[in-house]
Amino acid sequence: MENNLSKQPILIELDLECREEHYSRAEAWFKNVQFTQASFRQLLEDTVPKIEEPHIKDYLSTMLAEAIEHESKAEDLFRIIGRKPSAIRTTLGDFLGKSREVWADVIALAGGAKGPWQDLQQLYVSNLNSMSAFAVAEQLGLALGIPRILDVTFGVVAEKSTSQLLLQECALEMCSKSILYKQPF
Amino acid sequence: MANKQEVSPSNRGFSIGKGPIKTSRTTADALRNLSVPARPQVDASDVVVPDGYTVEAVMAGFSFPTDIAFADDGTIFVSEGGSSWPTRPYMPARVVIVKPNGETEAITMNIQAGPRGITWRDGMLYMCIKGGYHMQVARYNLETGELKILIDKLPSGGWHEPGGPLFGPDGLMYFGNGSVSQQGVILPAGFTVDMAKHPLAHDVPGQDVTLTGNNVWSRDPRMPYPFLTETGPFKPFGTPAQKGEVIKGALFCNSAVWRSKPDGTDIELLAWGIRNPFGMAINEEGELYVSDNDFEEKGERAIANDPDRIWHIKNARQPYGTVKTPDWYGFPDICGDGLPVNHPSHLPAKGKAAELFLQDPPPWAGPAAFLEQPHSCMCRMDFSKSDFFGHRGELFVAEWGTMAPLNSPRPEDLDHGFRVIRVDVKNGTGVPFMHNKKMGPASAWGTGGIERPVSCKFSPDGRSLYVLDFGHARLTKGGMFAFAHTGVLWKISKNA
Repeated sequence: MENNLSKQPILIELDLECREEHYSRAEAWFKNVQFTQASFRQLLEDTVPKIEEPHIKDYLSTMLAEAIEHESKAEDLFRIIGRKPSAIRTTLGDFLGKSREVWADVIALAGGAKGPWQDLQQLYVSNLNSMSAFAVAEQLGLALGIPRILDVTFGVVAEKSTSQLLLQECALEMCSKSILYKQPF
Repeated sequence: MANKQEVSPSNRGFSIGKGPIKTSRTTADALRNLSVPARPQVDASDVVVPDGYTVEAVMAGFSFPTDIAFADDGTIFVSEGGSSWPTRPYMPARVVIVKPNGETEAITMNIQAGPRGITWRDGMLYMCIKGGYHMQVARYNLETGELKILIDKLPSGGWHEPGGPLFGPDGLMYFGNGSVSQQGVILPAGFTVDMAKHPLAHDVPGQDVTLTGNNVWSRDPRMPYPFLTETGPFKPFGTPAQKGEVIKGALFCNSAVWRSKPDGTDIELLAWGIRNPFGMAINEEGELYVSDNDFEEKGERAIANDPDRIWHIKNARQPYGTVKTPDWYGFPDICGDGLPVNHPSHLPAKGKAAELFLQDPPPWAGPAAFLEQPHSCMCRMDFSKSDFFGHRGELFVAEWGTMAPLNSPRPEDLDHGFRVIRVDVKNGTGVPFMHNKKMGPASAWGTGGIERPVSCKFSPDGRSLYVLDFGHARLTKGGMFAFAHTGVLWKISKNA
C-alpha cells in the first residue's frame, strides 16, 4: 500500500497552473475592491464640504484620510499576487460615487429630508459595500494561504467597521433634524 | 421558534458524489520550496522521531484536514474543508482519496460545515458531519454512491466537535459529540457566528441535573448597542437558569459518547460530561479511550490550568444494551484533575472565579487515564497494534497545539502541543514521539517541520503511522486565522 507516495509526494492544488488560475480569479475580485473603495472615497470627498456642523465635518474628514489610505491598500492586493492594479476600476468608482450623490438627492426629495443627511445615508451603504469587498479579499487570502493579504485587509476592515458605526450613529442622530425639522446641519 | 432538538424527518441528506481533484506529483526536494506563502517549506529533516524510525511528508496542500481513514486495500481517505476552525473561509467539503495505484479523486459534498471524522468499513465510508443545529452520522457507499443519514438528532451548533465514528471489535459503532458551549454556558467569547447561526443552541445533559441557579452576565453581541444579558447552563444565550430547576437528561445530548449498531439504530449512551471527545480509540482488549480538551482561561467564566485528558470510558465494557445510567466525566463543573472549576488552583488570572452550575452532581467517573499540559489540544488518536512498529498497546495522540494567547494569558502555555505523543494508558504516562527540533509550530521558527497534528492513524498492516497536520494557523490575543492549502500528511515508518 505504498501508493508511491514516498518517492513522489502528492501536491493538492499547488501546481503552477492551478495557482495561477486561482490568482486570476482573486485578481478579478480585487478589481471589485478597488472599484467599491474608489466609489466610497469619491462620495465622502463630495460630502465633507456639504456638512456645516464642525464635529461631524471633523469625523468625516478623518474618515476621508483613511479612505484615501485604504484605496492605496486595495492596490497593494494586486502586487501581492504579482498583478497590476486596475486604473479603469478607479475611474469607474469615481463615477459611481457621483451617481450615489444624485441618487441621494432623489431619495431626499422623496423622503422629505433636508440637507446632506441623505449623503450620510449613502455613505453608510457605500462603506458597507467596500468593507465587505475587503473582507472577501481577506478570505481569499486565507484560502490561498497568503498571510500578506491578511496583513493588508485586517486593519482596513477594522477601521471601516469603526467607520460603519460612526456613519450609523451620525445618520441616526441627525435624521430627526433633517426629516422632522427640515433643517440642514 | 420550533424546538430545534427534533429535526425534520425529511432530512435525506445532501448532494454527494465523486469527482476529480487537481493533484500533481512532486519530490521531497521540491517540498522545500512550495508555492503557498503561509507554508513555503515542508521538510521532514526538521522533524524529530525516535531512532529507528523514519518520517517523510507524503502529501501537501490540504485545506483544513481533520481525519484519516484506510480501506483494507490500502486506499487512503482524508477529510478536509468545510467551515472548520475558524468557520471561514469555507473550503470545499470533501474526502480526498488516494488509491493503491496512486490515482486520486475526491468525494465531494454540498454541505456547510463538513466531514470531521471518517472511518471505512465493508466498502462504506462512515462520516461524522458537523453543521447546523445537529451533528450527523452518515454512511456513503463507495460503489453505489448511496448516502444514508444514520443519526441526525445530536444537538450541536456551537463550538465543539464530533468524535469518531469508529468500530469496535464487537462490530458496534462508537461516536461522540462535543459541547455546544466552551465554558459550560453560551457566551460571546465563543465565536459570535455561532450565535448568529444557532441562537437557540445549548448544551443538553445526559441525565437529569438540578441547577444551582448560578448564571453568567455578558454583553450581547447581537444587539446594536452594548447590552448586558444573563445566561444559564443548558440554556440558549440570554436565558437565565433558576435555582433548583431540573433539566431533563436526554439520550440525544452532547458532551457525550455513544455506541449503536452499524446502521445507527439501538443507540446507547455510555458517558457524558466530556467537553470535547474529538479523539476516540479502542485497544486490542476492546477498551474505549477518549481525548478531551480543557476549559479555557478567557471570557466571563474563565478557568485556569485545566489539564487536557484522556478518559477511559468504562461503560464500554458493559454488555451492549445494559448501560442504564451513563457515567459523568465532569463537564461543566469539574476540571480534568478532578477539582471543581472554582478551586483556588483553577482561578483565572483576571476576572471573577467560575461558579458551579450543578447542585448535587452525579458521581464523577474519573480519574483520567492520562493528564496532559493545558491547551495541548489532544485530538484524534490510535493504538499501536503492531509488534513491528513497536509500543504495542500504547496510544498515539495527535496534539493540535495551544490556541494561546487567544485562550490563555499564560506564557507557559504558548508552546504546548504541536506534536504526537505516545501514552501508556495503564500507567498514565506519556512521552513525545514526533515533534519539531524546537517545540512549537514550524512557522514559529521558520522551519519546514510540523504545524498542528490533528489526527494520527496506523496503516491497516500496522507498520506505519500516518500523521495528519492541519496546517498553519495564526493566533493572536484577539483572534485566530487559518490558512488553507497548508495541510500535510506525514508518514512515520519503522526502519527494517
